[in-house]
Amino acid sequence: MATTETNAPYVGRPIPRVEDARLLRGLGTFVDDIQRPGLLHAAFVRSPFGHARITSIDASRARELDGVALVLTAEDIEDLAPIATGLPREEVVANNRPVLPPETVRFVGEAVACVIASSRYVAEDAAQLVDVEYEPLPAVIDAERSLAEGAALLHDGTESNSFAHIEYEQGDVEAAFAAADHVFRKRFHHGRFHAAPLEGRALLAEWDPGAQEMTIWMSTQIPHLVRTLLCHAIGLSEKQLRVIAPDVGGGFGLKLHLWPEDYLVSAASKRLNRPVKWVEDRSEALAASLHAKEIICDLELATKADGTFVAMRGRYVGDAGAYAAYPFTPLVDALCAAVMLPNVYDVQAVRFEVDAAFTNKCPAGAYRGVGWTSGQTARELLVDEAARELGIDPMELRLQNTIPDGEPYVSGTGCKYDGGSYGAAQRKAMELIDYAAFRGRQEEARAQGRHLGIGFSPFLEPGGWSGELAKRMGFPFDYMDSARVTIEPDGSVVVAMGLHSHGQAHQTTMAQVVADKLSVPIESVKIIQGDTAQTAYGAGTFGSRGAVIGYGSISRAAEEVAEKVKQIAGLALEAAPEDIELKDGNAIVRGAPEKAMPMMMVGFTAYFGAFVGGKRPPGIDPVLTSTRSYDPPETYANGCVAAVVDVDVETGAVIVEKVVIVDDCGTILNPMVVDGQLVGAAAQGVGGALYEELRYDEDGNFLAGNLLDYLYPSTLEIPPIEVGHLQTPSPVTDGGVKGCGEGGTIATPAAVVNAVADALSPLGVTIARTPLDPSHVLSLIREARG
Amino acid sequence: MSVQDRLVEGEIVVRLTVNGEERRGIAEPRLLLVDFLRHELGLTGTHVGCEQGVCGACSIRLDGELVRSCLLFAVQAEGSSIETVEGLAPGEDLHPIQQAYHEQHGLQCGFCTPGLLLATVDLLERNTSPSEQEIRDYLAGNICRCTGYVGVVAAVQEAARKLEAGGS
Amino acid sequence: MKPAPFKYVAAETVEEAVAALGEHGDEAKVLAGGQSLVPLMNLRLATPGVLVDVNRIAELSGVRANGNLEIGAVTRQAAIERSAEARAAAPLVVEALRHVAHPPIRSRGTIGGTVAHADPAAEIPAVLLALGGEVVARGPGGERTIPADELFQGYFTTALQPDELLTSVRFPAQGPGARTALQEVARKQADFALAGAVVAANVGDDGTCESARIVLFGVADRPLRAPGAEEAVTSRSLADVAVLADAAQSAAAGIDPTGDAHASAEYRKEVAGVLVRRALTTVAEGGVQA
Repeated sequence: MATTETNAPYVGRPIPRVEDARLLRGLGTFVDDIQRPGLLHAAFVRSPFGHARITSIDASRARELDGVALVLTAEDIEDLAPIATGLPREEVVANNRPVLPPETVRFVGEAVACVIASSRYVAEDAAQLVDVEYEPLPAVIDAERSLAEGAALLHDGTESNSFAHIEYEQGDVEAAFAAADHVFRKRFHHGRFHAAPLEGRALLAEWDPGAQEMTIWMSTQIPHLVRTLLCHAIGLSEKQLRVIAPDVGGGFGLKLHLWPEDYLVSAASKRLNRPVKWVEDRSEALAASLHAKEIICDLELATKADGTFVAMRGRYVGDAGAYAAYPFTPLVDALCAAVMLPNVYDVQAVRFEVDAAFTNKCPAGAYRGVGWTSGQTARELLVDEAARELGIDPMELRLQNTIPDGEPYVSGTGCKYDGGSYGAAQRKAMELIDYAAFRGRQEEARAQGRHLGIGFSPFLEPGGWSGELAKRMGFPFDYMDSARVTIEPDGSVVVAMGLHSHGQAHQTTMAQVVADKLSVPIESVKIIQGDTAQTAYGAGTFGSRGAVIGYGSISRAAEEVAEKVKQIAGLALEAAPEDIELKDGNAIVRGAPEKAMPMMMVGFTAYFGAFVGGKRPPGIDPVLTSTRSYDPPETYANGCVAAVVDVDVETGAVIVEKVVIVDDCGTILNPMVVDGQLVGAAAQGVGGALYEELRYDEDGNFLAGNLLDYLYPSTLEIPPIEVGHLQTPSPVTDGGVKGCGEGGTIATPAAVVNAVADALSPLGVTIARTPLDPSHVLSLIREARG
Repeated sequence: MSVQDRLVEGEIVVRLTVNGEERRGIAEPRLLLVDFLRHELGLTGTHVGCEQGVCGACSIRLDGELVRSCLLFAVQAEGSSIETVEGLAPGEDLHPIQQAYHEQHGLQCGFCTPGLLLATVDLLERNTSPSEQEIRDYLAGNICRCTGYVGVVAAVQEAARKLEAGGS
Repeated sequence: MKPAPFKYVAAETVEEAVAALGEHGDEAKVLAGGQSLVPLMNLRLATPGVLVDVNRIAELSGVRANGNLEIGAVTRQAAIERSAEARAAAPLVVEALRHVAHPPIRSRGTIGGTVAHADPAAEIPAVLLALGGEVVARGPGGERTIPADELFQGYFTTALQPDELLTSVRFPAQGPGARTALQEVARKQADFALAGAVVAANVGDDGTCESARIVLFGVADRPLRAPGAEEAVTSRSLADVAVLADAAQSAAAGIDPTGDAHASAEYRKEVAGVLVRRALTTVAEGGVQA
């Protein structure tokens, strides 16, 4: 665990989590735990075909079943307009997704009807009684073929199957390639993965016909955005909708989206004047929620004879699935991958081309690390291959080309890195994994017929997902994130913020921030999150932004409140406000600590003045609350992952022996929480590299519909993971915080895949896809054998 | 009564002991035990993650054995003795196993946690000082997506130490 | 998903169970451990109209080692794993159980259930075949014994009739020269095998294999003997790598597996041979210990 040199009582220390007690006791409140009087339950009829015309749909038998309250098909929901996904940039062609398709189903699992009944059991019985006739159509399941001339268009009124075609160039790339001594190429097809939070999607919508207001409990990372995006679609103004995210059982980016199911369940509640709950089951989650990261990458690296990188080119074709994921769009995969093409390498001539192609698969959107993962894997594999061809050690080649530590740098795609430990992190990873001894170990093992391999993956983690960062990544948006800090009469501190934790311990880390800022004991702090009726507006928690945004917004609001405290205390203690300090729950006169006013007295004086014998300072508004926002500049954490694997060349099985992750996220709020994020993300990376795959066959049939096919890694697949820390505080963000959470998923697949490539390189094997399941690994070995 | 006469079709009353307390509820044959515990008895600590027996979020103990409550019907549990997460903490304080998970950051979102706690109870009852490999073997049937298992393994090791020191 | 509706009866004796199965015919299924059946029901891939719960039938539970190892059909896999008697009589059975899923699955799953379910990628049916065991079943016409060689007939299909209840599973006791081994490859350690091999051999003091039963699983619609491989090792020294290579090649040549989302046909064919060789190597080194 990192040890921060800190004098602060809380920030930088491994404060145990306040959220633990209720979760450990089984007293958490997840959406499915919530009961409401008169509750009804939803189930969906889903397409068994990847692409088909609906020739008829008859819900009469279903409607007659005892216990069924409502069945909705496309013709019943004319008031629910299609969900339109776009971006305010000219290359993007907005995509419409019908809430229930009237004519054409476009992926296995797409909902074609919604049943509301007295229990989930009965709703599923009724779903089986909805008679749907389909006429199957040919399915498009390859993103490149989807873009090819003459490919059948998946959406009406479009000219191509690409959601967006985006190009970028900096420097004279063609000239650089022409003049280069070497050009290395790599084609890599990154696998299709699932965030797979253990709690799937869930919502409970309750329309109150008396108040004409709706409350929605939703397992979401973005309660305010849900409110804003959903309300008008269901005929409400924003003030009529309250969204509450209770305990959320994991999100990882998946729960940043909205789906037809959300619209249908809410609309059903309004029609029936009854609360309606829908809890996604595992089959629905796998087939019909959100997929991610499948990108076909064609990369080129131009170097001098001595290995100096001079230019890079990348073509990224993302497999967007059947509809554009709402609202973040499929560009989170291919476009994000492209923008980070140069990584930590000093390359100023860069060109990229991006497409997000529709296919007959489940829509693809954000999953921890987004497309940075896929681009990272392809690029770092290419760097290792270049090293092998050049006869240079891969880490030597990387370090030779890495930008200097500590200085800001503008990348070849215009990203403003704010200075980090770009080289130092690599060296530290090499040290922790004992790279120096490894080659000897590897040779000894080879002599015994064992194939060990080592792989490295230096990474950047764009943090904060602010307006500036989003635009840099290609998403022209600003976000409003705020926090409200209030001191109550008794001196308790309450923070209401727009972020929402789904495992990242905001209730603890944000309490640490405000407790330090106001110098109060952490036990007197309460963090409110997730309820739009109680909290200040925020975009939510994702994109490694929690710590950055939280620190900034809370600090600014707390500072304003602290000013008021000093003025009130100054008057009471007969000192100038500038001479008042906040310390250990009191306001004291600097240099005369016996002159102290406890926070509770400050509170009562502010609220009730003369009633408690206190005086309010004239001319100031004594209100002890402030709402401030924070939208940070671009900031980038950095690090390096290293992995050692043991490949059984007779069975293709890959065992990961060890993973090391070195991370520099600037100022750390809670090292215990940061370690947990790094390890958890790295584990997802191992899963993606070796075990997880959302596969389709040629006809668009979905082959990963249960957990015997989509393989969550367990304690036996995830090795011990060691964490190392460096800290380069950001010079541009409040508190120097850079953000953390995605590094492990961005970088670990590349380290594992590089390790396998390293183990198998003597056999002449090249790796061009993930995951590396045993059957695929053995086929690579067999092919190389000839 | 012959076996034909005992055929159950509709809802019946199921009586069982849960965390030491006698409870009863209504169940039709197909009602899964996990749904009975959660919605009929209001014990929502046990979670549903897959309904296939793979993820372990529904883990409870039935008659002293660790089982998947998503693969049992409530009617099968008539007369049995069940332990769920709600029964772990003796009162105001956390059970030593819960305390260990807290200290070692063995949970993040908390969804898999009740299942893991029951699996840990079962493991440490059978093996009071398991090695890391034994811990990983025993808990391989409990999926966690958040922690990457490092904190979980540390928690179980700490729990073993606590139980050995203080007695169970 | 939630299961479709069904009727439920808990049988208290074998006679009751058989009567209920007879009464309801195709509509009825036996509910033992439920670890294979209930997931299918939850996915609505299995929709029996009647479940006959046999978990309360006391006589169907128990491990008896009297010469052979006889295990009541409803004996929990976990109980067998913990049974010193079982380990002494047939250590391969206990070893195989360690590969079956996870402890909470084994605490409910039964030996009879896994045999009757006949998943071609499951370990216990392959072990039963390799050891030359048999099952006892009772139906309306009385009791009969079915040897393993005749029991497994296809994908999830055995010779059991719908109105028959499997009552016990018998493994012959391992004699003095008996050595066994099991090798498999799975995507995740506790999952169903992509391919697997079981060897049960009698090895003389000089290391010569006097006889062997070699069974492959996960590579066909049922566990399969590998007669070519068996012949390759009979009366030969298992210390001879050429003999082992020969056996591996014969094993691979003798099967025609299908591919699926987890592994190609070529993979299963190639790896089956590798696993036979590795299992024979384990046997040469002493095999599974009690």
